[in-house]
Amino acid sequence: MFCIVAAIVLSILGIFSASNRKLAAEALDCVFHRITFRPCTTGFDEKMKAKILGFAITRSERSARWLNKHFELLSWTFFIIMLAASVMFIRGIVLFYTTGNCNGATSEAFCIFDPTGENTRTSSAEDGGACPIPTDINNGGKLSIEGIDLSLWPVENKGAENQLVFIGCYACEYTREVYPSIRALVDKFEPEFYFGEYPTKLKTDYLSHVGYCVYDQDPEKYWQMNDALFAEDVSLLEDNAATDQILTGLGLDMAAIDACAADPATEEAVQKLFAEIQKTNFYGTPTIFINGEPIVGPKPYRVYAIQMEGFFYWLK
Amino acid sequence: MDLTEIRKDFPILQPKDGAKPIVYLDTACQSLRPLPVIEAVLEYYIDYPACSGRSMHKLAARVTEKCADARSQLARFIGANKPEEVIFTRNTTEGINLIANSLDLKSGDAVLISGKEHNSNLIPWQMLVKNKGIQLKVLPPKEDGTFDLARFESMLDASVKLVSFGYSSNLDGVTIPVEKIIKLAHKNGSLVLLDAAQATPHRALNARALDVDFMAFSGHKMLGPSGTGVLYGKKKLLEALTPFMVGGETVARSTYETCEFLPVPERFEAGLQDYAGIIGLAEASKYLQRVGFDAIQKQEALLTRTVQEGIQSIPGLRIIGPADPGLRGGITTFYIEGVDSHRIAIMLDQMANVCVRSGQHCVHSWFNARGIAGSVRASVYFYNTLEEVSIFTENLQKIRKVL
Repeated sequence: MFCIVAAIVLSILGIFSASNRKLAAEALDCVFHRITFRPCTTGFDEKMKAKILGFAITRSERSARWLNKHFELLSWTFFIIMLAASVMFIRGIVLFYTTGNCNGATSEAFCIFDPTGENTRTSSAEDGGACPIPTDINNGGKLSIEGIDLSLWPVENKGAENQLVFIGCYACEYTREVYPSIRALVDKFEPEFYFGEYPTKLKTDYLSHVGYCVYDQDPEKYWQMNDALFAEDVSLLEDNAATDQILTGLGLDMAAIDACAADPATEEAVQKLFAEIQKTNFYGTPTIFINGEPIVGPKPYRVYAIQMEGFFYWLK
Repeated sequence: MDLTEIRKDFPILQPKDGAKPIVYLDTACQSLRPLPVIEAVLEYYIDYPACSGRSMHKLAARVTEKCADARSQLARFIGANKPEEVIFTRNTTEGINLIANSLDLKSGDAVLISGKEHNSNLIPWQMLVKNKGIQLKVLPPKEDGTFDLARFESMLDASVKLVSFGYSSNLDGVTIPVEKIIKLAHKNGSLVLLDAAQATPHRALNARALDVDFMAFSGHKMLGPSGTGVLYGKKKLLEALTPFMVGGETVARSTYETCEFLPVPERFEAGLQDYAGIIGLAEASKYLQRVGFDAIQKQEALLTRTVQEGIQSIPGLRIIGPADPGLRGGITTFYIEGVDSHRIAIMLDQMANVCVRSGQHCVHSWFNARGIAGSVRASVYFYNTLEEVSIFTENLQKIRKVL
């Protein structure tokens, strides 16, 4: 058992040192002999055990005796720990590649491959945002779009095979960061794309009303408006005049949109949409559901693509 | 013998700041080299790095002279009649192979060896069994590892053309009664080849007085450079041998069809020789003569006895060879039941820089016949101290407590 542990450790160390490569080769040969029920002929296990005991005995005879007595047991213990650690490590790599975090798509726990948490950042209403994040937790607090009424959400490619539900906010840093990836994903794979605008940051809640009205007036222009708003300098989004200029530029009837936005029915519809968004138990933007699976924070493009099209998305 | 002064000649034995000293107890494998030997080798490479016997320039003349001096010195060292009886080889193994392949042994002829020969004095004969159909007879040692003279006498018959024994065993240090063996063998009409690799470093040899026919030894066990050795042979017998390795330096002239061999010993020294090694080997023999074999043996006996006293109480420890340390030269070979010998050797090295040999010491045949996996061999030499022996025995005792 010691040979297996040593073979793994020395193989890794062997990347950096030739002497360790030689030992790793001996250890691997030993492992090969052991798994074919033959004694280790290189003497590797004896050699290493002797070196360890020789080192231990100079520190404490008692501990060396204990080590010698329980060497096989210790080897097994280390092997199991190493096996578990290896599985966890590989799982972490796979999860990082597929979800952007070693611990899963919605986890905010520390990930060695993303030590600063770049992929798990979200914007919430804590910094003076317009809308509070949900306080009434549903479904045991689990992020889900199950039972959510999506009929009020702006939608593109209705009826497509894959579904992408995007909860974001025009003024939120991380929504803005991830938006180009989402847009590219929608353009390439054409999923049924829902956008739930939830203004958790700055005073941009008026855009929810505007957005509702634009979508009502011309759904195609709505998506163009989104592209334009996410491309705009964030500091200008609080300025109605700047927004109006964008919308006018898209050829929209601003008078009709202003009238629509002031209509109490629009306010009712927007609040209804917010209520539906809140039911997902989201706690910050961006929160994305791809075919029902939640992904929180701005992830790399591959994460969304894998979730939607599988590991070999790049072949499609 | 002033041990303190002697140890100053061995660079590796000098204390180094902060480092544990080396305790070198592996002389039976290879001895340490004193400064005069190292300097002689260096001097060749620095001052006259040329060929011997071929070129006409001053450097070559100096090498030729130095090599001739070395041959004469080594002839004196082993008590040969003439310098021509000294053939330079790479080691004992080469010397034995030279005899095995040059002696006119025919199918049915027998070679008699002992039951604890080094592979170098076993495998060459096994090859002749296979290739020429000779017989290989093996004389078992007595239970305590000493030589069974009566059984030896009984095994001598007309078929035995050569008796080839290790003078002193590298396994247990036992020295065989060579004078009696040679007399009995000659009486039987057999030639005698001695593997003197373990004897030359420890005792004064006199080939002429022994009347031995051939004798091979290595330089690296007797303070000399690695890759050097000597095959001694009586001149008449050497002249009767057919050269084994031939080519450059072995012939006086050649045509496309024939050649004329040089006289002995050159005809056996094929190719360019290790001149630095040869000169260093001669220097080593001088060094040993300066120290004196009486003093060497006295120191070895003291050290071996101290080793014995230090380890005999260790539970489960078995010494290979006679219980009397006086019969084992500088060698103490032992094993501990159920404990891998390599493990002990590595631990000694790890714990206290104690260098010993572990395994079957190239005497696999002896170990395999007895089902013993291996052993540890501690071999002392005149440059070792009682303090070093104590370090070895104390650490061995600690290891035994742990394993």
